[in-house]
Amino acid sequence: MSPSPALRISRVSKHFETGKGRVTAVDDVSLDIMQGEFISIIGPSGCGKSTLMNMVGGLLTEYDGDILLDGKKVSGCQPEIGMVFQEESTFPWRTALENVAFPLEAAGLTRDKRIARARDLLDLVGLSGFENHYPAELSGGMRQRIAIARTLAFEPRILLMDEPFAALDEQTRLLLGDKVVQIQNKLRQTTLLITHNISEAVQLSDRVLIMTFRPGRIKRVIEIDLPRPRSSEMMGSEAFGRYVAEIWQDLREEASKGLHDAEAAARQG
Amino acid sequence: MVAVGQVKSGLRARTRFSRVTIYRIVALVVIIALWEGAGASGLFFRGVIPSSVFVTAALLRLLGDPVFWGHFGVTLFEIVTGFAIGSALGMLGGLGIGMNRYAGQVFEPVAEYLASTPKVVFLPILLILFGIGVGSKISLGAISCFFPLALSIAAAVRNINPMYLRVGQSLNLTLTQRVKMIYLPALTPAIATGLRLGFGIATVGCLMSEIKLSNKGLGHAAMQAYGRFDIPTMLALLIVIFATAALGNSLIGRLIRLPGPTNRRVTHVPR
Ligand SMILES: Nc1ncnc2c1ncn2[C@@H]1O[C@H](COP(=O)(O)OP(=O)(O)O)[C@@H](O)[C@H]1O
Ligand SMILES: [Mg+2]
Repeated sequence: MSPSPALRISRVSKHFETGKGRVTAVDDVSLDIMQGEFISIIGPSGCGKSTLMNMVGGLLTEYDGDILLDGKKVSGCQPEIGMVFQEESTFPWRTALENVAFPLEAAGLTRDKRIARARDLLDLVGLSGFENHYPAELSGGMRQRIAIARTLAFEPRILLMDEPFAALDEQTRLLLGDKVVQIQNKLRQTTLLITHNISEAVQLSDRVLIMTFRPGRIKRVIEIDLPRPRSSEMMGSEAFGRYVAEIWQDLREEASKGLHDAEAAARQG
Repeated sequence: MVAVGQVKSGLRARTRFSRVTIYRIVALVVIIALWEGAGASGLFFRGVIPSSVFVTAALLRLLGDPVFWGHFGVTLFEIVTGFAIGSALGMLGGLGIGMNRYAGQVFEPVAEYLASTPKVVFLPILLILFGIGVGSKISLGAISCFFPLALSIAAAVRNINPMYLRVGQSLNLTLTQRVKMIYLPALTPAIATGLRLGFGIATVGCLMSEIKLSNKGLGHAAMQAYGRFDIPTMLALLIVIFATAALGNSLIGRLIRLPGPTNRRVTHVPR
């Protein structure tokens, strides 16, 4: 008997009613995620990735189909699920340490406990020494690491990350990818990562999901059978390159559909 | 190197401060000179612009007069109480209107109309309700500062970065936690500005009410001096009122500590 999945997404669809009519953002997506598995979702902009994540995270509650956490239907936000958002989300009025301690404060931990825990997490994301800095005094990559540490602080079993490194430059992104690999090796969390970046997806994932451009469906699932741990140095290897090429092949088609659409929309005004 | 930097910036700060002080003193001297010139020019009725010497003398006499301190105490009490009531309700109202879409749709247009109405039109009703004593003054002060504060807080609530709220939602925060841990710190700059504005407006409301009809307070004393054509005393009272409002304003500015790095006195020295 195969073990039951930690998270089951079953025939989930989501439509938005807009002024210009009905938009299907996510169309009949099904996916089983096992405990400890790292899955990346990759697809062109506007294909419904964030919408899917918001449904799994419980921020969007009206949709068709079922999302099951350990076999139980998810309703609203769950303490087992932690989210890292695409947009900047650190609190500018809190120091790095206070930001990471935020969820612990909400959970009612004593001051000493939450500070000790927040220190550990800042250390984990490589930010020890910056405890008393405010977000405005740090770089974008550091702020995003604070956001990740803040989400890890309450030890969610399942981690959802929506393009957490999208706004960063390539070098920072590579280094952060290595950081995520280290954290993943340590915590073995079930993770759903949304990304634009093919090599990031190959480096981090057990499986990569490619989504179609509008309506967002699963086009293909690719198992990444590369030895772990995988640092950014292995990106030069031949096997790595093959996966990247394979994913790009599928993604290219969808991305160009997206481009045509955008051009058509621009021509219409 | 750090030490040198600090000394330098300290010196710069001190020179800048003294330059500002010099300009202020010059401005004051110019204003007093113009005032004296206007008084001596004979363009105005005699006594309408008394010499600043007389005004200063009147001010000193007031400061030694227990009757004046009685009036001062009454007015200060009215302003502080009216401001406290009006701003507390204004903040609550602003949070309510801003956080709840339906409350916003129902109350905001009404609040906007009322905010632009001169509050003194309520005075007859307030006089009937609360009498000519401090009650009518406090209530007019409170009403005056309620509306601008509620509207500015509501606007600031709607301008909060939605990401902060989404983080709160994803962590399942309760309403109390959201208000305490997200709304209030995010709104502190708006609240600080709103309170300073509100204090000025509450002061105007209380004094307006005193001037119209009262038997105590600085506004009443000023009207009495006017009735005696004791212009120096009247001006001295106005100076006291002005100084009180300015002092209150800057006190509020100092008391509210803005969170975050911009407001910190000592800048961070990176390690
Ligand atoms: N609240 C909403 N109302 C209407 N349309 C929406 C809303 N959220 C997303 N959409 C639409 O759904 C589609 C998918 O959006 P999104 O999930 O943000 O895509 P992605 O994250 O893959 O870039 C887009 O076409 C977007 O315009
Ligand atoms: Mg997105």
